Amino acid sequence: MKNKDIKKIIKDVCQVSPDIKTELKDGCVVLSGELDDWQTIYEAGAAAASKRYLGVINNVRLKGKSDGIPVPDFFDEAAEGLKPDVLVIGGGIVGAACARELKKYNLDVLLTEKSYDVATGASGRNDGCVHVGIDLHKGQQKLIYNGRGNAMYDGLCKDLDVALEKKGHMILFKSNAEGRFFSALMKLRAKQNGIPGVKYLPREEALKIETGLPSWCSGVLYMPIGGIVSPYKLTVALAENAAQNGAKILLNTTVLGMKTENGKIVSVKTNRGTIYPKVVINAAGIYADKIAEFADDRTFTIHPRKGTNLILDKKRFDYAVTSITKSPFTKLKNNLGGAESMLASATSKSHTKGGGIVRTIDGNVLVGPNAREIFEREDYATDNADIDEIINKQKATAEKLTRGDVITYFSGTRAATYEEDFVVRKGIRTKNIIETAGIQSPGITAAPAIAEDAAKWAAEMLKAGKNPSFDGIRRGVPHLAQMDAMERDALIKKNPDYGIIVCRCEEISKGEILDALRSPLPAAGTVDGIKRRVRPGMGRCQGGFCMPLVVKIIADELGIPEAEVTKAGRGSLLLYGDKNAEGVN
Amino acid sequence: MTAYDVIVIGGGPAGLAAAVSAYGEGAKVLLIEREAKLGGILKQCVHDGFGLIEFKEKLTGPEYAGRFIEQAAATGVETRLLTFVTKIEKIADGFVISLVDRSGVSSVAAKSIVLATGCRERTARQVFIGGTRPAGIFTAGTTQHFVNLRGKMPVKKCVILGSGDIGLIMARRLSLEGATVEGVYEVKSTPSGLTRNIHQCLYDFNIPLHLSTTVTRCFGNDRLTAVEVAAVDEKMRPIKGTERIIECDALILSVGLIPENELAESIDVALDNRTRGPICDQNCMTSVPGVFSAGNALHVHDLVDYVSDCSRIAGKSAARFAKTQSKPERKLTQAAFDKNFLYVVPQTVDLNSDLSAVSVYFRSGYDMKARFVVRVNGKEVFSKRYSVLKPPEMEKVVLNLAEALKDGGKPEFALEDVTKLG
Repeated sequence: MKNKDIKKIIKDVCQVSPDIKTELKDGCVVLSGELDDWQTIYEAGAAAASKRYLGVINNVRLKGKSDGIPVPDFFDEAAEGLKPDVLVIGGGIVGAACARELKKYNLDVLLTEKSYDVATGASGRNDGCVHVGIDLHKGQQKLIYNGRGNAMYDGLCKDLDVALEKKGHMILFKSNAEGRFFSALMKLRAKQNGIPGVKYLPREEALKIETGLPSWCSGVLYMPIGGIVSPYKLTVALAENAAQNGAKILLNTTVLGMKTENGKIVSVKTNRGTIYPKVVINAAGIYADKIAEFADDRTFTIHPRKGTNLILDKKRFDYAVTSITKSPFTKLKNNLGGAESMLASATSKSHTKGGGIVRTIDGNVLVGPNAREIFEREDYATDNADIDEIINKQKATAEKLTRGDVITYFSGTRAATYEEDFVVRKGIRTKNIIETAGIQSPGITAAPAIAEDAAKWAAEMLKAGKNPSFDGIRRGVPHLAQMDAMERDALIKKNPDYGIIVCRCEEISKGEILDALRSPLPAAGTVDGIKRRVRPGMGRCQGGFCMPLVVKIIADELGIPEAEVTKAGRGSLLLYGDKNAEGVN
Repeated sequence: MTAYDVIVIGGGPAGLAAAVSAYGEGAKVLLIEREAKLGGILKQCVHDGFGLIEFKEKLTGPEYAGRFIEQAAATGVETRLLTFVTKIEKIADGFVISLVDRSGVSSVAAKSIVLATGCRERTARQVFIGGTRPAGIFTAGTTQHFVNLRGKMPVKKCVILGSGDIGLIMARRLSLEGATVEGVYEVKSTPSGLTRNIHQCLYDFNIPLHLSTTVTRCFGNDRLTAVEVAAVDEKMRPIKGTERIIECDALILSVGLIPENELAESIDVALDNRTRGPICDQNCMTSVPGVFSAGNALHVHDLVDYVSDCSRIAGKSAARFAKTQSKPERKLTQAAFDKNFLYVVPQTVDLNSDLSAVSVYFRSGYDMKARFVVRVNGKEVFSKRYSVLKPPEMEKVVLNLAEALKDGGKPEFALEDVTKLG
């Protein structure tokens, strides 16, 4: 990040647009005005970033648009009068990890999530890489939390019964010379960043680890601490374990405002009543700046950066077994110029690592993501232009990649700040808030470490002692298709529902779906919630065969009509009841 | 571990016909079905029109399946329902099949197997429709399951993409159940379904068919609120400026069936890129000796009658393979076919096996008036004229190639487009 003073910032912003007013206020650079072009508003914000100040508050409005937290369509009293020690706002991976960490202390914890389930934002919409941190710079919070978080993963995933693989990440080089030169540089960076095991491997060596190397690759930079995890399964596991330990989790609960007095949050208004917390942790992801604003503690702006990932059939064994990405140094035909992206990388102007090919923990191949600045914070629609962009770019690494390999794709929005760093800190103007904002990549990796700090700070504020009855062990739903025959047989003999296969593509049994419905955080009985937990419908038929069966299992288990089972929470009804008005069923 | 001569995987029309005919050859047969009832997709096809060739009468899907279920019940074919095949392993004298059912994990052995695993439907994302993914986007088969098997309505006002037969059938079905079908959209310039279905399911119900038009985008966050449709150019790319937004609460997709051959691939059965089914010979034997393919897993048929017909060949051949002690070595020769075909099955013929009644199934690549010609070593051995050939309609001919191929050589199939000749 640049280190420029306010005069220079005013000049730079003015160059982007003379219609934007720039001023320094309470240590922050505040932009105001109204424009009709989002790209200009974004560029102004980016031009205003400087490490000299607390952050950029970009209040420039996009004409005729509002980017506030969407107001829910229902209100009740479920949260009215609750007085938790700590209120965690947001059920993404950071919020869920915070709730769990907080329960290590003698604290009464409430987590609110505006959606129908946890992990529906960025935490459920990323590639699940447990990052190495080779691209991070000294002075960034990202570097500190990524390193600490990565080191926590083995233990955490073991405790929570969540699959983790650390097969390493690779950066691919075309020529031997550039590979060795770049690797030497990166090894130096690795040493500075405290990353162990980084080494250059010539092609023959690399092939022993990664069989899917493209033909042009002469060698790789191998980083063994890189891993993969299912980011949504981990978030669910964290939330479940928090709930097991007594944290209360309220879904479908949107924060609408806060009342502050004498630099303290007194109450938090939601669609389900007013909550009176002693401390608030802001883990609101893409809306974190809005929450900080409510709390009068805003020093940053979230600007959504959209990315799309393609999911390929598991059968594509030839693409990647680890996580691979082409070096920005390597210039190939039909590809962004090496020099251009090298420059971008060196000046850290590049806000995605360029994407790559990732073998997910469930065996699919993920390709992407790309990066695009957008206005709407929850615009998860996909565009053919993005898909073409990703295929054209990643064809360099997965040489045979075609549209025919793609079974589905998804988009997410990164909660980026203009400083492009995390904002993990105690409140500045407001005493009883802890900010965990700007959590974009490597947020999944960093989340456990961020939560550790946030919970410690909250405990200090409340002078809370350790909770001796905290149990950090959680058992997940067994995944029978991955078991050996004897183990699987024994489980089916105990519970015959494990022997009824519902999802043929992913080989998921009725018993596993029922387990998910009976878990501490039962997915609110939604088709997508079940899919997130145990994968029916994640395969190549995308639920064509099993979706009606899953609907029936949910309805039977919850004792509700099938017409009340939703895809993804309120409003997403799948059926209209019996087919004739009179009813035939 | 129980051993069988023939194990048939899949209890739909293909598996039933294969099992019955294998039993008829004196084989000990096991039929495995993952659902609770036999009949496969026919269970949900409550419309009629099945069986015109097989039984010379119009039957509904369940009735058609019922006839075969009765035939199977009258034989000694063993059936295992709610049983899922997790793995096939090749052993010296056949195959070991791992199963999961309510009683646990078990294995059975067979000398030969018939894969009658059917198809799955292509999805919205697999035809690259952009936008959001709310509730209300269903494949035609899923819609049919809800309406016909469960008596549930997933639709009030819908757009149907794809003029495949299931899509057409569902247009009629949903109209009859009180839903509005705004229109059927087809990216190609000709319909994908049978002509009779275009008339009986669309025109009779005043449902418009929009050719060379596709759905490009979905809207709505919870339930679908609208779709965008656009005209396409000759390369099927949407044409800018032709976009139109249609308000609807459902998008039904009938955009193609993909033969399910994951089990086949797991034992290295070679697949044909065109059919997406196994490459087989005149006995429906795949590239792996002892593994046979039947029905829509082999290639997508237009009529179930042909599925039964081809599956009998598979079943019979599988039984003979299992019962033959010293198996004659296969002498496979690749058939050749010109570019006017969409595909031809079988793709190979075994010269060491009977060639006196080779069933050949084919589809033309486009609408044409044509002469179907078979040559061996450049010499014409068979020809047939067709006043009209359309890709949605499969054709079948039975050829005696015994004489022509007795000294070797390979069959060459040609479709001479006589439309162009006038």
